Amino acid sequence: MTAVRLSQVVVEANGRRLVGPLSFEVGEREHVLVVGASGSGKTTLLRAIAGLARPASGAIELFGQRASDGAKLLVPPERRGIGFLFQGGALWPHFCARKQIGFVLEHTGCPASERGERTRELLEWVELAGFDERMPATLSGGEAQRLALARALAAKPRLLLLDEPLGPLDFELRDALLAKLGELQKRLGLTVIHVTHAPHEARGIATREVRMAKGLLDGAVAP
Amino acid sequence: MSRPLVVLAFALFVVAGLAPIGVMFARIGAGDLAQIFEPRSLALLGRTLSYGLGVAALALAVGVPFGFLTARTDMPLASVLRPLGVVPLFLPPMILAMVWTVVADVRGAPAAYFVSTLGTFPLVSLFSARAFERIDARQEEAARLAGGRWAALRCDLPLVVPAALCGACLAFVFTVNDFSVPDYVSWIGTPKFNVYADEIFATWKIDNQPGRAVAISLPLVVLTLATLAPALALRRKGAMASLSSDFRQPAPIELGPWRWPAFAFCAALVALGAVVPVARLAWEAGGGPRGFDVEHLSKAFSLAIERGREDLQNSVTWSLAVATLCVPVALVLGHALERSRRGRWLEPLALAPIAVPAILFGIGMIVLWNHDWSARFYDGAGIALLLYSGRFVAFPIVIASGAVAALDPRLEEAAQLAGAGPASRLARIVAPALRSSLLGGWVLVFVLALRELDATILVPSANHTAMFRIFNQVHFGRDDFVAATALILLFLIVLPGLLWSLFARRRLELLP
Repeated sequence: MTAVRLSQVVVEANGRRLVGPLSFEVGEREHVLVVGASGSGKTTLLRAIAGLARPASGAIELFGQRASDGAKLLVPPERRGIGFLFQGGALWPHFCARKQIGFVLEHTGCPASERGERTRELLEWVELAGFDERMPATLSGGEAQRLALARALAAKPRLLLLDEPLGPLDFELRDALLAKLGELQKRLGLTVIHVTHAPHEARGIATREVRMAKGLLDGAVAP
Repeated sequence: MSRPLVVLAFALFVVAGLAPIGVMFARIGAGDLAQIFEPRSLALLGRTLSYGLGVAALALAVGVPFGFLTARTDMPLASVLRPLGVVPLFLPPMILAMVWTVVADVRGAPAAYFVSTLGTFPLVSLFSARAFERIDARQEEAARLAGGRWAALRCDLPLVVPAALCGACLAFVFTVNDFSVPDYVSWIGTPKFNVYADEIFATWKIDNQPGRAVAISLPLVVLTLATLAPALALRRKGAMASLSSDFRQPAPIELGPWRWPAFAFCAALVALGAVVPVARLAWEAGGGPRGFDVEHLSKAFSLAIERGREDLQNSVTWSLAVATLCVPVALVLGHALERSRRGRWLEPLALAPIAVPAILFGIGMIVLWNHDWSARFYDGAGIALLLYSGRFVAFPIVIASGAVAALDPRLEEAAQLAGAGPASRLARIVAPALRSSLLGGWVLVFVLALRELDATILVPSANHTAMFRIFNQVHFGRDDFVAATALILLFLIVLPGLLWSLFARRRLELLP
């Protein structure tokens, strides 16, 4: 089954074309690397898929359902079943680790009685057991990024969007996080679109690699 | 963004802040506009313009060094002088005028320039200090490596100038719209120093012609809007630059032998703007020229409380209520201004209550609400709450929108993806992140409402405040209990900031 289908999608801002026209498909359980230089439109592409950037034209389908048609958002971002690991994590500075995840669980209908257990499970997945009450400011770069990953997974997404997830990490932490990502993707059966400007680091877990330049896909290449 | 919440907040803003202005402008007749071009009006406008520009220039001249010395250097007691330097901004300008006209025996224009500079230089120093401390250490170090300290200063100044000019623009706006200082320094003898705001008041009070009063206020409104527009642009350019995640705090600059002269300069400013006024009032309350004694002081306070109890209570409860009402409205509208596509275009509308002279705003309230159908509301405390909310809600709106501009939008997007609705995102993600700014807005409205006089003078049921009592009493003689009332009011004004600096770990964000 096709997880993501983009048909002639164009995204503009202030009258300037940022992405497109672009057509692109991602199969279920694929891990697609989107590579390209800074400013090539990679993050905008992820934001359009998530519904956070409104396309000017074109259509986006997620798991067979039309999510946006031209500028019309047919499925709002929160109902797209997407987990998003933002560049830099974007952790809420006033929430401890437990609340970062608890907030997502609360809004995705997880019963209050199960939230504690589910939070513990997610923190264990990313090897942050015991970090429940730690605030983002007290976490190292690797810990913060793993907490952001746990938060992205809390809503049980089918599609995980990763925006430069390895950016702020040193080499050892990058390897550890990549291994964790690969393991979780298999365990949870996730489809992953992974934006990076350093593809060599993530090729080990990717199934396909596409290149972006000036808002357009240059074509698919084998990982 | 939650549309019902935005609509509700905007409706409140329209009723409190825009309707009194709209109703006034509808009263202008064709013949009224001719009054603008009468020689007397033009002369007053010219005088007001040079007064505002002069005060803004003086505020820049002392505010930038004060901001620099307290924020970036190893000057002794810099961390104490910095918050104390804000106090003159909070003190009612008329009380500063009351004190300095007798301490320095100055009247007329010199007194107005001096007092208004003292009251507005903190605007420049606050903006400058924040801009100075937001310069990344590495930028400064690169300049120092290239050409030493002067090169570093030359590199810093262009980054600080927009923020300092933004403060100066606000100082200009505060000065040209103030009625109480020129009125006071003219009232107690010669030489007179009438300004444009006086003329608006006189046209309303003596001629009782609202249309004419509005017509002659037009140049002042245009002037104020024309100043606020660059102030906001400068704010976006310099004062509100958000810090990147790897920001490195610059180290304090060592002043060497200049440490103590720098301290003397800053301490003198704090003394002139805060210490001397308070000390003089305390001296007057304790007997003043008849001889100071503590028993007299105690009696003056007892008398002030006995006579002014109701007015003091009104001042505090109304200010508390208005500040508490304004903050949620400001959160919703400030967020909408920054995050919605049309927000930037609505910003001038949000600023309208600041751009219009307070006197005109007060007249607008009377014209709007002084009818048979609204008599009960007009004669009650509700009109005072509406008057102060309308006058001051623009400040927390601008502060909140500035803070939202510095807030990473991905924090809200992450919550949106998690399924949090607009109201939930606003209450649980945005509001906690903006806590310091919202509290800053709350404190600012509380303080401004406590010291409001210009519009209060006009609306009868809003007259029952401590500030109005002082204004009235001081025109009938400088009794000891008047000084005591002023001291009680000053204490109430600085109390929230004092409590915050004693118990809170974060800094209060008072800047837009």
